Parts: sequence; C-alpha cells; structure tokens
Amino acid sequence: MTAASEPFILNIGPQHPSTHGVFRLRVVMDGEIIRDLDMIVGYLHRSMEKLAEERTYTQNIPFTDRADYLAAMTGNLGLALAVERMTGYEAPERAEYLRVIFSELQRIASHAMANGTLISDAGAWQTPLLYMFREREKILDLFEMTCGARLTTNYMRVGGVAFEPPAEFWPALQELLDELPDRTDEYAQLLIDNEIFLARTRNVGVISAEDAINGSLSGPALRGSGVPWDLRKAEPYCGYERFDFDIPVGKTGDVYDRFMVRMEEVKQSTRIIRQAVEQIPPGPHKNDVPLAIRPEPGEIYSRIESPRGEIGFYLVSDGTPAPYRFHLRSPALINLSLLRELGEGASLPDAVVTLGSIDIVLGEIDR
Amino acid sequence: MSDQPLAPPPPLAPPTAHRPATPMLQQIQDRPGVRDSLMGVPLPLKAAGAVVGLVTLALLAGVGFLVVDGRLEGQWYDVRDLGNATAGLRGWLQDEGVDHRIIWVILGTIGGIGILSVLGGWLLIGSWVERRVLAKFQIRSGPNRTGPFGLLQPIADAVKLMAKEIVIPRGADRFLYYIPPVLIFVPAMLGWGPVPWAERMTYLDIDVGVLYTIAISSIGVLAVFLAGWSSNNHYSLLGAMRTVAMMVSYEIPISLSLLSVVLLTQSMKLSEIVAFQDHYHVWLIVLIPFAAFAFLFSSTAEINRTPNDIGEAESEIVAGFYTEYSGMKAGLFMGVELGHAILVGALMSTFFLGGYTMFGLEEWIPGYLILATKIAAIYFLFVWLRGTLPRFRLDQLMGYAWKFLIPIGILQAFVVAIEASVFARSDAPALITLGAFAVVNLAITVVIVRFWADRLGYAPSQHATRPQLIADGTLGGLKAARKIREA
Amino acid sequence: MDSTGIVIGFWALSAITVVSALLVLLARNLLHSLVFLVLSFLGMAGLFLTLSADFIAVAQILIYAGSISVLMVFAVMLTPLASRDNGNSLYLLPGLFGGLGIAVLVGFVAIDTEWAEHRGAALAESDFATTVGTVGQLLLGRYVLAFEIASVLLLFAFLGAIVLVQERRRGDDDASQDGASR
Repeated sequence: MTAASEPFILNIGPQHPSTHGVFRLRVVMDGEIIRDLDMIVGYLHRSMEKLAEERTYTQNIPFTDRADYLAAMTGNLGLALAVERMTGYEAPERAEYLRVIFSELQRIASHAMANGTLISDAGAWQTPLLYMFREREKILDLFEMTCGARLTTNYMRVGGVAFEPPAEFWPALQELLDELPDRTDEYAQLLIDNEIFLARTRNVGVISAEDAINGSLSGPALRGSGVPWDLRKAEPYCGYERFDFDIPVGKTGDVYDRFMVRMEEVKQSTRIIRQAVEQIPPGPHKNDVPLAIRPEPGEIYSRIESPRGEIGFYLVSDGTPAPYRFHLRSPALINLSLLRELGEGASLPDAVVTLGSIDIVLGEIDR
Repeated sequence: MSDQPLAPPPPLAPPTAHRPATPMLQQIQDRPGVRDSLMGVPLPLKAAGAVVGLVTLALLAGVGFLVVDGRLEGQWYDVRDLGNATAGLRGWLQDEGVDHRIIWVILGTIGGIGILSVLGGWLLIGSWVERRVLAKFQIRSGPNRTGPFGLLQPIADAVKLMAKEIVIPRGADRFLYYIPPVLIFVPAMLGWGPVPWAERMTYLDIDVGVLYTIAISSIGVLAVFLAGWSSNNHYSLLGAMRTVAMMVSYEIPISLSLLSVVLLTQSMKLSEIVAFQDHYHVWLIVLIPFAAFAFLFSSTAEINRTPNDIGEAESEIVAGFYTEYSGMKAGLFMGVELGHAILVGALMSTFFLGGYTMFGLEEWIPGYLILATKIAAIYFLFVWLRGTLPRFRLDQLMGYAWKFLIPIGILQAFVVAIEASVFARSDAPALITLGAFAVVNLAITVVIVRFWADRLGYAPSQHATRPQLIADGTLGGLKAARKIREA
Repeated sequence: MDSTGIVIGFWALSAITVVSALLVLLARNLLHSLVFLVLSFLGMAGLFLTLSADFIAVAQILIYAGSISVLMVFAVMLTPLASRDNGNSLYLLPGLFGGLGIAVLVGFVAIDTEWAEHRGAALAESDFATTVGTVGQLLLGRYVLAFEIASVLLLFAFLGAIVLVQERRRGDDDASQDGASR
C-alpha cells in the first residue's frame, strides 16, 4: 500500500541560489521526487550571434568574453583561432605559448568556480567556494596585470595576443604555481574524502559513456563518464602537442567523477603552465594583421577545448570584413540538455547537485 | 601594431618595483599590524593601562582570599551564584511581611528577565559572532564596517529588518501566517527554564525537567509547519515537510539518549543530573559517549543546523519554511535559530558536560560563566560544522535516524539500565564501577557501531576514487571508453 | 485549594480550553481547527498543573500538543485539498450525536464518582516532588500488566505500520527493470 500524493509544480529560478544565473527549471514534483522537468533558457539572450554579423572579426572578440564569462580567455582564443584557420594568418611562437598559459590559467579559474559552486550546492555553506576563489582571485590578478580586465579579458587577437605580460607577471605566476599543489592537497583533505560529500555525490546523476556520447557531451562532463576525449590531445592547437600532460577520466560518470575530473585537470593545467613557462621563447607577441580582415568567401568550423567542453565557432564569410554567419557551439547548452533525463526520478537535492556538476554558464547558453 | 592610433601614445607612468596587483591588495598590505598600533600609544595611557591591570589583579587576589576564607559562602553578595542574591531578597521580603504570592511574582519576574536578557543579549551578539567566526573559516573579514570590528552590525541588521516592508503573499492564510514567528520563539525561551546556571540558580527546578525540555521542543514543530503551510509557497511547504519529518524522527534518538542519562543519574531534575556529574567527578559524555553523540547530532537536526539544515537548505529550497516571510518576521526566524543553538549548547553541557561545574573550578569562577563558556564552545562547534560540512539529503538523514541512531540508542539504553541497577546495588567504589561502565560503554559503542555500519553496507573508503589518468595514444570515443572501463 | 491564584488560574485555563475546543468545531478550516486543538491541549496541561500533576501536564504537552498534533499535521499534508472549507461535511450529524453521547457519558461518570479529597498530610504527600516517582512506581508495580499490555500493543502497531508501508519485493524488481530498460 502506498499513500497517493498530489504532484505539484515548483518553479526553480530564474532567481534561485543554485541555478548559477538566470536559468529556470519548471519541475513537477511528487513530494521530494522530481517527476518531470522542463528547462527554460533564454533569460540572458542578447542576440550576440546576430549582432556579430554587423561587426568585423576583431570587433567580435569582446562578444566571446561575454558569452562564457567564466572562461573569457578560451572564448577569445576560439574565435581568434577560427579566424586564423580561415585566413591563414599565423601567431608567432611566443604568442602560442602565451595563449596556452592564459587558457590554462583560465581553466584553473573556471574549474575552481565550478567545483566551488558544486560544493556550495551540496550544502557546504560557501567555505569551499571562497577557498577556491582564492586561486581564482590570484589568476584574475594576473589577467588584470596583463590586459587590464579581470573577467572580460578581450586578450587574444587574430595573429597573436594583445599585450605582452608585464615584468612582474612572471614572478607572480611562479608564486601561484608554487602554491597550487599545496592548495589542491588542502582541498583533498577538506572535500574529496568527506563522507557527507561522497554520500551526496556518489552514484548521483550518473551519465553512462554511451549516453554521454549520444548526448554529444564534451569537456569534464564527457570525461567524467569515462570517455577519454580532449581536443587539446585529439586536435592539438597552439602547440599543445609540445606539452606533457594527462587526461583524467572518471569511471561511473556520477557527480563525484565530474568533480574529481575537474580537480585533476587543475593539476594537469598546472603542469602545462610550468612547462610553458620554462619553454617560452622570446620574440614578438603579435604578428601584423590588418584591422579589417577579409577572409576568402567560405566557411569554417573551428573548435577548441574550453573548461566546459568543446567550444566551436562556425563562421561563414562572404568576403566582407564582417562574418556572414557567426555561430557559437555552446558546450554548456549541449551538456545541459541531458539534465531532463538525469532529473526525472531524482530527488530535488540530487537534481541540484547534478545541475551544479554540469557547470553551466548562462551567458554562453543564452548568448 | 597596425591598430595603433595615429597620435603618439601618452608617456607611461614609471614602473614601480613591486606594484601590487590590485588596489585591494595595496590596502591590505598597508593595514597597520597590532605591533604598529601599539607603538603609537602615548606613555600616560600605557601607564594607566598598567595601573588598571595591577588593580584588577589585586581585586582578584582579594576575592580569592575571601573565597578561601569561606566568608562569602551563601551571602547575598556572593556573585558566584546569583541564586544567593534572590534568596536574600526573598528572605528580606518575607521579613518585611510581603504576601508570598507577591514575592513569587517578583522573583519570577526577575528570573524571567534574567533568561530573556541572556537570550536577547545573545541575539545581539550572536549574529556578529557567527558571521565573524564563519568569515575566519572562509578566509574573509566578515562584518567590519559598522562600529569597531563591525560590532554594531547586528543592530544595523535589526534596524534594516524592522524598517523593511512585511509582504504577505497573495493566497496566504492570514490568520495562520501571523502565528509562527511568535510561536517559534516560545520553545526557545521556555526551554531555558530548567537549566541550572549555578547551584541555587535555576529558574524552574522542576522534577520532570528532562521531560519538560523534550515537551517544549516538540512545540516548535507546529510553528514550522504552520509557517510552511500558510505561506502558500511550494518552497515553504517542502521546507516544512522536511523539517516536520525530521523533527519527528530525531525526537526519538534525543529521547533515547536522555533516557540513558536519566537511568544513570536516577533523576529527571537537571540540577540533580549536574550534581551527579559533580559528585562523581565525571562527565556523562565519558560514561555514555554514544548518547552524547546522538544528542548532539539529533539536536543539529532539530534546530536546522549544518550538516542537517535540510529544512532551510539554501541551495535547494531557498529559505525553506520561512521563504515567504520578510522584514522582522524573517528576522525572528533567524534569531530563533541562534537562540536554539545556544539552548542546545546549554542542554548539551548540562546533560553531558557537567553543566555549571568544572571539577571544583566553580568554587572560584561563577558557575554561570562556566556554563556560558561551555555553551560558547558548543556554539563554536556548530559554526565550525557549518563552515566545513556539506548537507545530507533528506532520505539519508531519515535513514540515519531510523536505521542507525534509534536501534543503537535502544541498545545503549538497555545496557545503561543494567549498569544503573548494578550501580544502585553495588558497594564497590564509584570510581571502579563508573570506570568500568565508561570502558564497557565505549567498547560496546565502538563494536556495535562498526558492526551495524557494516550491516548497513557503509564503506565510504571504497567510494572515494581518483580519476584515471590517460596519457597519449588511448584517446577516442566509445571504444576507448569501454577499454578503460574494462581495464 | 481555595487560594485565589489557583481559582483564577482554573477559570482562565478552563475558559481557554473550552473556548478553543468549541472553536475546533466551529472553525471552517481544518488547519485553524488544528491550531485551536493544540491550544485546548495546552489549556488542559495548564489545568493539570493547577492540580499539582506536573508529570501529567508535561506528558500532555509532549504527547498531545507535540506528537498527536504533528500526526494530524501529517494527515493534513497527505490529504489533497486539506485546507478547503469543510463546513458541510457528510459526518456532521453522526459526529454531533456521537460527541453529545460521549459528553453525557463523561458528565455522568464525573458526577457519579465520589471524588476523594486530599487534605492535610495526604495533601502534603502528593506535592510536586513525588509525582514522577509515584507514577513510575505505580506503572512498574501495581499496574505493570496494563503497562506491559500497552507496550505490546504499541509494538504491534509499530510493526504493523512498517508492514503496511513496506513495498512489495516484486514492485522493487519491476522498478529496477524499468530503470534498466530506459
């Protein structure tokens, strides 16, 4: 005998502590259990892709800051690389190293944010989040030193990077690299073996490798499910093949695996930055590229590995300085699309943690 | 660079040797340390400070002499036990021929004011303490703008909350909506009645003190439910459902652990429970560790604190049952949270940590200060937990109560009952019997907890895995994933 | 017991109890009724206090105001449309007659019983200090059989509740198969 209960509708968001922005979940709940789940996006839609058709390629770089605002550097890089691949302009070697350094710094900052908010969603009231902000803050300081902005960096350019880092950048970076291993050990003590955290995240929100591939997931969400796929290895860009690093993959594909993959990627990023700092050659940071780039008519899809997964730019040129079509493949949106299946039948706290583990950025989803 | 402007750029400022990255860092670096701030103190002030220190020491020495002399014992000015003063007042009023009912009213009012001032004073400083301590855990500063060290922050908060408009949601049950903020304060205040602050300093030293505390705490459930139901909001309702379910479940482990206490001390009077611990120079947490743990853990569930704060889980159901309350109504709910926390601290220290006694130290330091210190320590533990631990899920918590705490609590109560009858009958010195009990109880607890945890399939060490590191060569899609999975 | 304080307390508490009991009936909203019911329980506890029965008073709060009301809360929460107006219920007349019958019965018993009055030494014996001990001794002494029967009854109720709500094994299997096939 079971007591029948009345399902009711719960609106999670657009203003809710754990939707990570203006994201709305329309949930049909039966007690604590979610029976149905609708994802409603678009609250942050700014018509970015359409606006981009009115601007030159260089003028479009700031849009990519504001798409994935937690990983502006990789967004910049994605567009810069797409235009470079389209036109044949090349970045000098030093610029490639700088691009790698800043992308990996951005990856660390973004993963710190993702994991911090995930644990906050699991109920640890902001402590891990603020601990992780400590690293993020230092990284943003490095960004500020270099390009004057912390969040919307607008740093990468077609044919190189905008600025050479100042002299005090390198000791500060070294200092950060020296303390990062200590910090990750600290998190391991505080969080990774925390039994409550394990109980909350183990076997919760499980995505099998098959589902992950069928759902076209990418990034830590894909690797957490055990699929060893990383564009930095698979299609090396910016000279990633020069560096020695590993791809962490999870086993069961649950929330904990995605969390741990991010934790491990922070370590690997540190490794990459170390090697890049040792090997970085002298030289110009930017090649001369005309202000108004006019690619040959044609189209290109170019993708790189952002902290959230495969960020792709599909550009169509009609020979004018502005793209005829500008499309951004948003990894967060595609990763999010699996949430409905994950949420059905889960309890509300599990769904919240699962959403946190997918690591969405609404700026990129709504564009 | 091709995109340079035509005019020559303005000259850059000369580079400084070590430019701090941000103005904020500069501010932090420029902040004077404690040593620097002492350097600027003028000599007369230093001398005055020294004199004040010496006078304080002399006063303390004088008090110490009086205490050793025994001249203070039972006098009305013996501040080690404020009960002496009220007893003196009562005697004086009786001598004056005042009607005994009026005396009761006067003394009751004094005691009530005492309790209310403890609670109110705590509400004033508690939120500051919690925020500051939590901030230290979270490597930030906490409130530091309002007054020295941000000490006036609670007042600013209260003014803000009172000035805010109270919004009543459409469709709310207006009659029921007004009751909970008031009703929830009732247990937080009445619960203080039987807590002994010193030997003669108990407001309500009733015979059924233990039952009274359980009974009073059960009233809070109703307030929570009414708040959740009347607000006409699904978050509120979810929070209320969770809280009610949890409070009902966790009342049982609390009762079971208090049953062990009562069996062992042979009394339901809180003052006698303290006297037992004082007499045998042992804290009950040593004798019945599992009961103490169950009490503390269940209390965190009852009062909605981390790791059991699922009733107002911010990341899930916003503010739980009081989501729809605004202004000072919400402030009352938040204040009650602080009040409950120290009430639990007081009960925990009374039942398990020796209450106002501290192995003879209460001869020297007022008992209520000792109790306050213990309360503060437990409160610190709560804040510590809040700053560290994630939150359980509802089903995990319920399972923890019903599958773990309650069966083991019943077993513990059985063992303690046997021990209590042995203790009442045996002529052996208390040191030996109580020592044996402590060892036996600890051993039984460890064995049973391990055994039962294994039975329930608890093995967290197997769950904490590290991701596998894939070097070059094995990248790929599903095939590679399967290969990794099978390896 | 003719001290003015007690008399005032008795009338005030009786008024609270009776009025809130009436309001339980008259309130047209189930939850309002529940609140008044709790208030009337609390008034009863107060009445017990005026009789120096502190154990019963606390037990009244613990069991009735604390637990029984929560049970009703659960019942209300599990009932769809619980807060609707239930003024014209089907059970109005049977309930009215049943309640009146019980009231008459209780009144008859109350009038018919010869209430022993405690005075002097007997009164001094039955003060606050001894109630818990006395209740305990009586429960495990003279009334041990009733006590044990009640415990066994409660145990069976407990087990029965578990058996009733336990999901059948087959259902579990079905659920897992569903999960696998999805």
